[in-house]
Amino acid sequence: MTEPILKVNSVTKCFGGLTAVDDVSFSVEKGEIVGLIGPNGAGKTTLFNVISGYYAPTKGSVVFQGNDISGKPPYHLAGVGIGRTFQVVKPFAGLTVLENVTIASFLKHPKKADAERHAWQVLETTGLADRAHLSAAGLTLAGRKRLEISKALALDPSFLLLDEVVAGLNPTEADRTVELIMKLKAQGLTILIVEHIMRVIMNISDRLVVLNFGKKIAEGTPAEVSSDPHVVQAYFGEEAA
Amino acid sequence: MMELLPQALTDGILLGGIYITIAIAFSLTYGVMHVIDFAVGEWIMFGAFTGYYLNKWTGLDPFIFLPVIFVIYFGVGYLVQPVIHRVLSGTKGNPFLMGLVFTFGLAIMFRGLALTAFGFYSNSIPSAFSEGSFNLDSIGLTVTIPTVRLMGLAYAVAITLILHYLLKKTNFGLGVRALAQHKDAAGLMGVNAKRTGSYVYGIYVGISAMTGVLLGCILSIGAQMGNEYTIFAFFVVVLAGMGYLAGVPWAALLLGLVQSIFMIYFNPSHTLLAVFVILYIILLISPRGLFGKGV
Amino acid sequence: MKTSRGAAILAIITAALLILPLVVHDTFVLRVLTEGIMWIGLAIAFDVIAGYTGYLNFGHGAFFGIGAYTIGILMMQAHLPFWVALPLGGVAAALTALIAGIPTLRLKGAYFAIATWALSRAIQQLALNVEFTGGPDGMRLEAFLNPLFFYYLMLITVGAIFLVLWYLLERAPFGLKLKAIREDEEGAKALGLNPTMLKMQSFILSAIPTGILGGIYAYWITFIDPSSTLGDLVSDQAVVMVVFGGMGTLFGPALGAILIFAFKTIFWAYLSDFQLLYLIILGALIAISVIFIPNGLWGTLVKRKAVARPQEKPEPASEPAALSAVAVPEEGN
Repeated sequence: MTEPILKVNSVTKCFGGLTAVDDVSFSVEKGEIVGLIGPNGAGKTTLFNVISGYYAPTKGSVVFQGNDISGKPPYHLAGVGIGRTFQVVKPFAGLTVLENVTIASFLKHPKKADAERHAWQVLETTGLADRAHLSAAGLTLAGRKRLEISKALALDPSFLLLDEVVAGLNPTEADRTVELIMKLKAQGLTILIVEHIMRVIMNISDRLVVLNFGKKIAEGTPAEVSSDPHVVQAYFGEEAA
Repeated sequence: MMELLPQALTDGILLGGIYITIAIAFSLTYGVMHVIDFAVGEWIMFGAFTGYYLNKWTGLDPFIFLPVIFVIYFGVGYLVQPVIHRVLSGTKGNPFLMGLVFTFGLAIMFRGLALTAFGFYSNSIPSAFSEGSFNLDSIGLTVTIPTVRLMGLAYAVAITLILHYLLKKTNFGLGVRALAQHKDAAGLMGVNAKRTGSYVYGIYVGISAMTGVLLGCILSIGAQMGNEYTIFAFFVVVLAGMGYLAGVPWAALLLGLVQSIFMIYFNPSHTLLAVFVILYIILLISPRGLFGKGV
Repeated sequence: MKTSRGAAILAIITAALLILPLVVHDTFVLRVLTEGIMWIGLAIAFDVIAGYTGYLNFGHGAFFGIGAYTIGILMMQAHLPFWVALPLGGVAAALTALIAGIPTLRLKGAYFAIATWALSRAIQQLALNVEFTGGPDGMRLEAFLNPLFFYYLMLITVGAIFLVLWYLLERAPFGLKLKAIREDEEGAKALGLNPTMLKMQSFILSAIPTGILGGIYAYWITFIDPSSTLGDLVSDQAVVMVVFGGMGTLFGPALGAILIFAFKTIFWAYLSDFQLLYLIILGALIAISVIFIPNGLWGTLVKRKAVARPQEKPEPASEPAALSAVAVPEEGN
């Protein structure tokens, strides 16, 4: 059996008295898509921030490709191959779409001409090439979510963290994004994805990890998870009741 | 020299008390508007001169004018704030930078206006309390407390209590605290950010101007006094932790002590240097202030 | 702006400035031009940290003064030749930036603005209160009265500063990385950028030319004192020039420097009794620029793409709806 690309070992993250993530462990194998789901406030984004270096875990560790990366700054993690998107999209609003992506390309392509060429390739893949010279602030929400993915991809990561890249899109746009994610998987990328839209997450994930109130309550294939009584309880109990 | 220490400590505490008023209002403004007002010293200076001239024209004691000065400068602040608000909610460039630049520009303009109008001379404001003093010899301490400084402390305590009441016990205070903590959420709760900002800025300008009068009675006034007090205000809020109100009194008292100790033991013109060195060390080792609670 | 056209215009201006002293022999004109060119250098150096990186240094004058005093002290007290002292002026400014930057550049921009402003005041106080600067009496340098030499020295230095900054900020990746920091520091981290490091590099890059220009100024004017080189006017004018001219570009601050300096020269020539009025106008100009032309003159004249930043649109409310509608996993059942 090969070593998993990412191992989350009993990670706990507290803010003052509040425990946002509570003793969560799971691992992600190379080449799979793992979905991270749970009701609002379950700690998904906090966990993302721990994995991508924005927060240091209070307890536990994160191991990426065999190295302990807990508490390492985000810019270091980008360097070892972790790309991420933000739920609240963060375009560099005063810059063009191309410039946004070029900045990310500098990581692997220190020369500006190379970085720009690389950024163009990424924009072709994500379907933003026609808007490359627009101001990033002028993009629609769908465009800005695509830009988020483009920036993360321009890092040439081996592992991608996607935070709600589908939510808020209309069905056509959502389908295009799903298509893109499947294409990335086919290229060999490993993906950890947070998504609210169940139709999407159930279809694309190989496995699911379910969080509720900061704790992991279930893990398994979409079929296993959706029949898990704890999960049904969490969703019906919290959201639908 | 040791026999001067009680005097130095007393002076420091009395002066620090006055700085509390400026620093609380300044910190509150930062919390609500998220902009540093570089003109804080200039508001103090304008207040001081208004007190000086009102006293000269009417011959009445400057303490009587305090409410008048508050009302005038509350009005000024209330009218200026919408302009700052407009800059901060601008859609071009970087609004936060623009806000800083704007108050920086205001400060330069005010300084120029004051130098034009009042010249380079320095003065002090005479008050009925200027002459008298209390002597603590009877309890074995060689400490002299000028009446005017004691009045200053009384003023500071009164203002601090009023602000405390406003913040903790009224709906207005609730709105202010909500805004300071989370701008968007406060908006959803029905807090009118613009109007509340105007009131807070008005209160801050009003208090700064009143405090200017007191500083004019106790120390001196001059068109260039603003710079020094702007640094003092920065010193207090950074030491307290930016936006952390509970830290303000301690930082203000510390400032008063530093100032009075330098006045008595060292060269008073080194005060600013000492203030800066302390500021630097704090930023280096505990950038969120003495208590680590700043934002 | 088309690069080739811009380069052509710049080449013509440079050529004109190079041959100008052959035509104009008036010392006053030469002096004004020398100082005007110096201000272009100071303004673009200020814009490195302010416009490109988004951190306001309200004490830019401190670097200028430190450069001036370093050259003064090294030449008069250590008897070093000018050409040895001059680069050390840049080094002294860089060290100051490093010392000031370490505690403040990790923090929010407001701290930085305060700290740099306070630092410039602390340095003024220091210069006034220590022996080796001559205190309030200032310091006289060995006179080298050759206006033509200083004109060309200033022109070449500022030209070199412009080219270096243009290359680093507009051609090399560095400029784009700084802009990423300016736009969103947190987001930039995810893309492999170390904001603290970049800000420090930017601050030092802004300080070095400023210190060197201060050194040239000291040798040129031959007399420095705290109010002329460390006074607020240097910082204040740098802010006006850049904000009025247009932040985040090289041409904006240069344009601002030319216009403000021309205005200052005319103003002080005809209204020298009203120097305080100049201060009022500077302050008012900053405030007015911020309100009416937040992108500065250059940004407003040269409508570069769509730089307007629309108000954040609220995210469509479809999110919770989507959740409740499809929250029931369909396929497993």
